[in-house]
Amino acid sequence: MREAASPANSGVIYALVFLVLALTILSDAKGLPSYLSPINVSNVFDQVALVGMLAVFTTVVLISGNFDISIAAIGGLGAAITLLLVDELGVAGAVLAAIAATSAVGMFNGFCVQKLGINAFIVTLGTLTAVRGLILVITDGRTVIADDPANYKRLESFVDGFVPAPALVGLIGIALIAVSAVQYLLTRRYQGQVGQNRLLLAASGAVVLLVGLSGFPPVRLTYSTLYLFGLVGTVWIVLRYTIVGRRLQAVGGNPEAARLSGISVDRYRIVPSVLNGSVAGLVGVIYSARLGAVDPSALHGFELTAIAAAILGGTSLFGGHGSVPKAILGALILIVLRNGFNMLNLGSNYQQLVEGIVIVAAAAVYVIAAQSASQGGRH
Amino acid sequence: MAQEVGTVPCVEVRKVSKTFPNGTVALSDVSLTVRRGTVHGLMGANGAGKSTLLKILSGAHTPSGGWLLVNGQEVALSSPVVANRAGIATIHQHIPLVPTLNVIENIFLGSEGIGRLPLGALDRFQTLCGHIGYETDPFAIVGSLSIGVRQMVAIMQALMVGADIVLMDEPTASLNENEREIVFRTVRTLATGGTTFIYVSHYIEEVLSLCTFVTVLRDGRVVLDCAAADTDAEGVIEAMTGRRIDRGSARNAATIRDGAPRLEITGVSTAAGVRDLSLNVHAGEVVGLAGLLGSGRSEILSALYGADRRVAGTVRVDGRLVGRGTGAAVSAGFGLVPEDRWAQGLVRQLPIFGNVTLPKISRHSFWSIWPQRESEVATTEEVIGAIGIVSKGPHGLVTELSGGNAQKVLLARWLAARPEILLLDEPTVGVDAAAKADILALVRTFAEQGTAVIMVSSEFEELLHVAERILVVRDKAIVATRVTTETTVEELMLLADRPEKEARAA
Repeated sequence: MREAASPANSGVIYALVFLVLALTILSDAKGLPSYLSPINVSNVFDQVALVGMLAVFTTVVLISGNFDISIAAIGGLGAAITLLLVDELGVAGAVLAAIAATSAVGMFNGFCVQKLGINAFIVTLGTLTAVRGLILVITDGRTVIADDPANYKRLESFVDGFVPAPALVGLIGIALIAVSAVQYLLTRRYQGQVGQNRLLLAASGAVVLLVGLSGFPPVRLTYSTLYLFGLVGTVWIVLRYTIVGRRLQAVGGNPEAARLSGISVDRYRIVPSVLNGSVAGLVGVIYSARLGAVDPSALHGFELTAIAAAILGGTSLFGGHGSVPKAILGALILIVLRNGFNMLNLGSNYQQLVEGIVIVAAAAVYVIAAQSASQGGRH
Repeated sequence: MAQEVGTVPCVEVRKVSKTFPNGTVALSDVSLTVRRGTVHGLMGANGAGKSTLLKILSGAHTPSGGWLLVNGQEVALSSPVVANRAGIATIHQHIPLVPTLNVIENIFLGSEGIGRLPLGALDRFQTLCGHIGYETDPFAIVGSLSIGVRQMVAIMQALMVGADIVLMDEPTASLNENEREIVFRTVRTLATGGTTFIYVSHYIEEVLSLCTFVTVLRDGRVVLDCAAADTDAEGVIEAMTGRRIDRGSARNAATIRDGAPRLEITGVSTAAGVRDLSLNVHAGEVVGLAGLLGSGRSEILSALYGADRRVAGTVRVDGRLVGRGTGAAVSAGFGLVPEDRWAQGLVRQLPIFGNVTLPKISRHSFWSIWPQRESEVATTEEVIGAIGIVSKGPHGLVTELSGGNAQKVLLARWLAARPEILLLDEPTVGVDAAAKADILALVRTFAEQGTAVIMVSSEFEELLHVAERILVVRDKAIVATRVTTETTVEELMLLADRPEKEARAA
């Protein structure tokens, strides 16, 4: 909590608030429907879901000191396999097959990088190319659809639906209170220092719960959004509150120091790669369920957006430091920019130019903030 | 003689002070005169301000007050380039050479021109070699050279740009005895020829024997400024610390220990070249590994710790077999303080407490899943208090610590973990005299608590001080064993050094 409000730590929040405010004012000024209308908010979250899920594990892999640009291709493979096999194996079989295949590709990446010592950028560049090629082979270069509409209906039921946002907000509040309660129970022995942080966590949980109970925000979120929140919450808790998170940070920050402290660097680098493949496969499954048709270039470019989101969230490309919730805020900034450009009719020609500038500007802010922090400390 | 050489002032520092934007006062009212053709030693504990003074002289920092004169002219050294033009070159502790280029390309790296090397480069290189009395292969790739030779290349680079004032920051910290001698000889030759040196080092004896004058800083002020001949090591230490340090050479008599050894190593060989190593260490015993840089002493520690893959042999702790890999070693009760604290020891992204509890975090957690921060912080507070680490407390960042305190964090890590066997690789490199004394005392504390300690050091004096038994290492093998009370630094040097002497005779 100490320096939580500094630009280096919370810049991404300020940036998102500023962006949303600007778009709200602009859309009002232009006489368009409010930018913060329930439908648009729901849309933005739905658009963030897939790239956000990719950004979660991109962040984990970056923290572990690795790098992966093959996830979008792997996701495309998962999507193609799902639709190719759903008629023969049924929904469960097809989904399992897709995730098994994508996890195997993740395992291959991790093995080549960690055991053979090939540079991660080169390995995943190769995987990216080869997996796109593999998709062409298995789809014969055509768009794939499920032959039996009944099968597709079953698949679609995983993404076709809404949950009221207040219910989700309420659940988050309960989760925060539960976390602080568990922490309290576990730390009763150290009564002398019952942490302020713990009280703060419980208090913010209560506030969030009340907000949810009051029916705010009046928005319906899609199932995809729900999956994103589930993944973010799980990974956040593991990284923030468990030994796994601490060791992952040590392995990414200084692998040799971690190894000499008895930590298995191989395990802490290969497992994130495998899970990265699994989650990319899950993203592919959701993609196929949403569209019902997958062409060989499915999810093209998502890997770069996911990496950009992680960078906007302040994750270091050199390992040892990063935040999953902030990566999601980073993804939100990118999607809000795109969505805003469309809504305000600003011309999609400028959209990519602005996105690029935002990424470099964000990186510059982090670097300058880090430099001034180190100068403000010791000489 | 000496007085005649050093009479003309070359660099004059007048009432220089430096206050950093955050309010840290690094230097206040520092004045000193460096005379032409002398080697001027600059000493002080970590944080005394010697690095700041060196940075001001090299143009990296500008002083907040006072002025500088070079050859009688007032100068404003606003950047390293300006300092270079004034004839000042700096040689840093970590040598900034390009490892993939060869010697002569590195030496002429800063020269202008279109060609890969300026015309006549080889001739100028040969002339310089003759001038300083040092020969080396101009076409050797720098990455393949020993650190001592690289240091010489850095000095030649400085001289080639025409520097007649050379600032040296801890140039010998990672050199072995022979390599140091080469550097010293060159410095002396050049000083006689009129080059002026400002020499910063932790090695007090080294400074006293090399330098004509010495200046000692403490808390940003000059506390001693005199001819080297007029003081001695005790005088310098007293000035540096403000208190007297007992440098008594109390040695530890080897105790006869009954019973099974704590650590039994039988016939261990590793992929890194250790062959058939056998060794026993008892609980409470300190064993010194005396070897020069490159002798394989670190490889031996890696073999014991499982950091290099063992291909043969067994390691037993209290009779129990230890499995492969560092994870098995740590669970069996091993601890290691590696040679390079930043590259191999500390995780910059973790606070001090995270670094302290890194190997044994399961002890500070519930069900080995949920770290218990209060327990981590309490333990860390305890050990940093016991060791005397100057820090902002357990939540402080390791990157804010001075070298000596950072090293102490690594010792604190194992003090908290209470290992059965502690391996120390050069634990006192690059720390000031007071921190060094603390660290050596701590090594004895570990032993008194029943830990079996194996310590590597290039400073054999240090090993004689803490160890009971000293094993001499050469070519990745133990070549001699001596009981501390029955040997001397000179004998250990001879034992450790022999192959090079043979090579020279051949």
